Parts: sequence; C-alpha cells; structure tokens
Amino acid sequence: MGIKLQAGMITLLVSMSFVANALAGDINLSAAASLKEVLNDLGEGYTRTHAGVNVLRNFGGSGALAKQIENGAPADIFISAGQDWLDYLVGKKLIDKASIGILARNVLVFVGDGRVKVNGMQDLPKLKRIAIGSPKSVPAGEYAMQAMEHAFLTPDIARKLVMAKDVRACLMYAERGEVDGAFVYKTDTRLVKRARTMFTVPQGLYSPISYPMGLTPAGAQKKDAVVFYRYLQSAPARKVLARYGFILGKE
Amino acid sequence: MSIFSPTDLDAIGLSTKVALVATLVSLPFGFVMAYVMTFRRFRGKVLLEVAVNLPLTLPPVVIGYLLLLLLGKNGWLGHLLDQAGIRIIFTWQAAVVASAVVGFPLLVRSIRIGMESIDQRLIHASRTLGARWYDTLFTVIVPLSLQGILAGSSLMFARSLGEFGATIIVAGNIPGVTQTIPLAIFDYVNSPDGERMALALCMTAIVLSLLVLFLHEHFGRKLARRD
Repeated sequence: MGIKLQAGMITLLVSMSFVANALAGDINLSAAASLKEVLNDLGEGYTRTHAGVNVLRNFGGSGALAKQIENGAPADIFISAGQDWLDYLVGKKLIDKASIGILARNVLVFVGDGRVKVNGMQDLPKLKRIAIGSPKSVPAGEYAMQAMEHAFLTPDIARKLVMAKDVRACLMYAERGEVDGAFVYKTDTRLVKRARTMFTVPQGLYSPISYPMGLTPAGAQKKDAVVFYRYLQSAPARKVLARYGFILGKE
Repeated sequence: MSIFSPTDLDAIGLSTKVALVATLVSLPFGFVMAYVMTFRRFRGKVLLEVAVNLPLTLPPVVIGYLLLLLLGKNGWLGHLLDQAGIRIIFTWQAAVVASAVVGFPLLVRSIRIGMESIDQRLIHASRTLGARWYDTLFTVIVPLSLQGILAGSSLMFARSLGEFGATIIVAGNIPGVTQTIPLAIFDYVNSPDGERMALALCMTAIVLSLLVLFLHEHFGRKLARRD
C-alpha cells in the first residue's frame, strides 16, 4: 500500500513537471561564452515582448557545450564561436542542417596590463605568462594557437600558456594582472577596466572568426524556438549585435 | 605507456610531486597543531578547532578564490612577494599551497587520533622520571603516534592527488607546468573528442587513489589494533 502510494505520488510529480515544462515555453540556448552580454540583452528583451516565453541561456566554451549537447543536455539552439564544433554536432545529426546560419563575426586581439610593452606577435616571447582558451574546447584558443603557429612562436612559448576554460576566464586573468596578457575577442575588451588592448592580431594569421549557429532536432520541432531563432537573424537583433561591437556580414 | 601524450605523463608526474611536497611541508605544522589540540588546554580552543577544520567543509573553489585574492599580484601578500621577485600564482608551488590548505584538516585529524590513543600514564611516567618536554616528545609521543602520522600523511597525499577546485584557480592550467591529473581530465572532458584520453587518465587516478587508500587502511588498522 505504502509503496503503491509512493509510486503514484512519484508518477504524479514527474508528469506534473513535464506539463510544467511544456507550458512554460522555455527556449534552451547554448552559446559561446563571448556572446554572454549580447545574448542576455537579446534574450531578456525578447522575453519582455513575448509573454510566456523564457529564454534559458547556457554559456561556456563551444567545445564543452557541444559535448553537453552530445550527452543529451536540453538545447534548442546552439551558437558556436567556431565552425568545428557546429560541424561536429552536424556529424552526429544533432543539428538540423537546413537551419544553419551565421550570427556574427569577430576579431582576435591581445590584451594586457601594459607593464611589458607588446606591439605585436613578435613581442610575445618577452612575456612570462599568457592566457589562452584551452584549444581542445575553446575556439578563441584555437585561433590564438593558429596565430602563434603562423608567427612561428609555438615551440618556446608553449610552457607559458595558461589554458582557460573559456575566453572570459582568459579575460579575467588578464584583468586581474595574473598573466602578462591574453588572447580574447575584440568584443570582450568592452568589459575590462584595467587591462587594455595591446594589439589586434593580424587577420592573415588565423582563420576568420564567425559564430555559426543552428537548431537542434528538438529545437526545430519547437515553435517558440524557431521564432526566436529567426528573431536572432532579424534587423532589430543585428542592431543590438552591432551595438556590442560584433561585425555583421551582408544579410 | 604509449596511450599517454608527453603532457599527460607530465600531469601524472606533477600530481605526484605536488601531493608529496604538500604532505611533507604540512607534516611539521600538522604535528604541532595536533599536539596543541590534544595535550594543551587554552581559551579559544574551539575557535582554533573550527578554523583548522574549515577547509574540510568549504567549497574548494572558495579556498582557491581566497588564495587568489591573497597571493595574486594585487593581493596583500602577493603584492609583497611580487616586490621580492617571487611569483606563486600559476606556478606548481601554487598547486602545493592549494593542496596543503585543503588537505591539512585531514592530516591533523589523523594525527590527533594517534595521539589521543597514547596512554597518558606513559607520558606522566616519562616526566616523573626526569625527561624534559622534548625528550617526552621524541621518545614517547612521536613513536607512539607514528601510525596516526602515517595514516594522516597518506590520507592527505590522496586528497592532494585529487585536488581540483582550488588548484584550477591558483595554479592555472599550463600543460607540462601546472596541469595536474584532475586539470588534464577537465580539459579532456570539455572536449568532445577527448573521451578516450579522459577515461585513460581517470583510470590512472583511480589506480593511484586505490593504492594510497589501501596503504592508509593498513596504517589505520595497525592503529586500531594497538588499543
């Protein structure tokens, strides 16, 4: 009797939670860490104008997010800071191929506290500690590694690289002065107070940075998610992206 | 062991080194602390006890962050060290500091258990027979609490091997320099194509922990048998 009652209660609770989920109109968004502020802005703005819709945002290194999605984390929209991790999920049939688009573009810069003068890639060997996103899962780190390889810096510099879990952790290290400098996106530098941009990494040294995005199979089924996804590519959303310093291609 | 890359092997070596150094450095302090808590009575003992045990219950990330604030370039201690040309943050020594703080309560607890099991009459007898306090310490207390010291050291060593939360904040994550086994695993876990390597390192961590814990059990049993 007691067990039956318990089982009944559990069934009731579980089914209630499913109903609640379905009613809430939650959109699960997994996005690269560098998009945090702009997507908070866009998500909150959207929630205000669309009653009953809630944009749940999950930020992190693109590789880590891809792995979460691969392991069944709830996600309707995935925005990566690099092509690799989107392609990875497409390969696993976890991104709806027809939905793929580009949210925006970005540029790699080097920030530091200015105690050691660095004007370009050739000055980096002068530094003791440099933060980059861990290239295994953070696109900003991959771009940084590319740039250092193309500037022929890699072998002697490898033991100076602090591997951060996402690009924002890099920025924090540079801002606190714990490293002499860090590779981050140009849009990230809007957040720093003490550190400043030492130089913009020459575009020829790394592949162009774009934020490809797509709907997951679950997201493609969800009307709210599809509408929000379209909104991200609309003129008002692009205006907000531009305000945060992101580079926008042709429509 | 061809499955491991050179930086993974570095991580295994570094973890062992950090755990060993953290344990050895903490040992004298742990011993003194246990001695004070076991044999001395004074006001505010409870406060000291709580302070020593605090790292046991605090989230390691809190300890890491507080250490960063303390030892970082702009921290009050880090600032002084910086002027003396010493850097701790993002070096392997920072991993030692993190492990030492987190593992210290375990060390003190085990040594105390060893000391509390010493027959008080032996200590009194040695004193009445004319032993100075340090004679009593080295000829009675240290030998009789040796099992507790060994048990505590092995437990702290094991805890240090697994230290992650505080370490990733203060030691950074520099492959081959400050990347310990848990940090290397974290790197692989975050990467979709790192599954195999993450599991290989997990196995290494499990084997190391099992070895050390068996050792710990061995010392612990000897301690229990003596009563």
